Amino acid sequence: MLRTLSSLALTGLLATFVATATLAADLQSPDMVKIGLHILAGVYGDMDRKLAAAQYDRLPHENQEFQEGSGALRDAVAHEPTAFKSKVEATLADTLAAAQKVADTSKSHDKTQVSAALAALATSMKTLNALFPAPLRAEPGTVDPPWMQHGGKAQPPNK
Amino acid sequence: MMKGRALKIAVAAQRVSRRTVLLAALAVPFGYSLTAVSAAPKKQVRLSISSDGDLLAFKPDQLTCPTGAAVHLTFSHTGKYITQDHNWVLTVPGAAEAVAQAAMAGGENSGWAPRGDKRILAATPHCGKGRHVSVDFVAPAPGDYPFLCTTPGHGAVMHGILHVTPN
Repeated sequence: MLRTLSSLALTGLLATFVATATLAADLQSPDMVKIGLHILAGVYGDMDRKLAAAQYDRLPHENQEFQEGSGALRDAVAHEPTAFKSKVEATLADTLAAAQKVADTSKSHDKTQVSAALAALATSMKTLNALFPAPLRAEPGTVDPPWMQHGGKAQPPNK
Repeated sequence: MMKGRALKIAVAAQRVSRRTVLLAALAVPFGYSLTAVSAAPKKQVRLSISSDGDLLAFKPDQLTCPTGAAVHLTFSHTGKYITQDHNWVLTVPGAAEAVAQAAMAGGENSGWAPRGDKRILAATPHCGKGRHVSVDFVAPAPGDYPFLCTTPGHGAVMHGILHVTPN
């Protein structure tokens, strides 16, 4: 009995994994997905810069942009099969909650708290990215030029 | 007596002639060049640039125009989702970071754009998604000039280069 249940559970898990993988590989709007993920990664980069510059008062604004920018990803998966779309939307909801947490903690002006919230947002974004094929992903901290990451001194376009 | 007077007139005429010729020789090319500069119409150049949708980037991020051209640049905000304003600010070489910092220091009341800053060669107003703004300026001396968006945090990634070529 136990063996049968285990087999059924394993089969279900495998089926879900295969279905998700297949759906992800056959996205109807891969370009839009790519843009949607890049928008979120771009705003994340902006949050990171604001934190590095201790501009806590600007972080709620960045969160607003993050929430608005998520509309691109939502639109991008709008016509995907329900199972995949639901999975993306649930994960995106977690990511948006994490972004909201960054804005909430920014009121404390406590760098440690805000950094932890930003790290949680990055983790959530990685989970979100993992739902999509690698060429479409935009991991947090990878969209900006390397010299701008993690509070590094800006090397502007001073050519 | 008459002969001597005629000789003086002839010599005087010769002096005038030499002076006139000399002045003319100097003045003609100078006057010509002045005329040529003032009369030559400035080359009219129209440049278009936009945001890369909702991404923090200009598209294209490289522009080119000849020196001295009367440039009409239009910036279009092609964002669809995010309510964030952008502008297009051209600075002297090496001043982009300082201008971005000055914009930040000026704060929201200054519209995130330092006014009267001599390092800024041209700038559009800020504009929101779906809108476009423009600016007219004369292309500076040949060289590479950075441009950026001075909305806080944008300049670090939303920037490009205007290549000004010799005529």
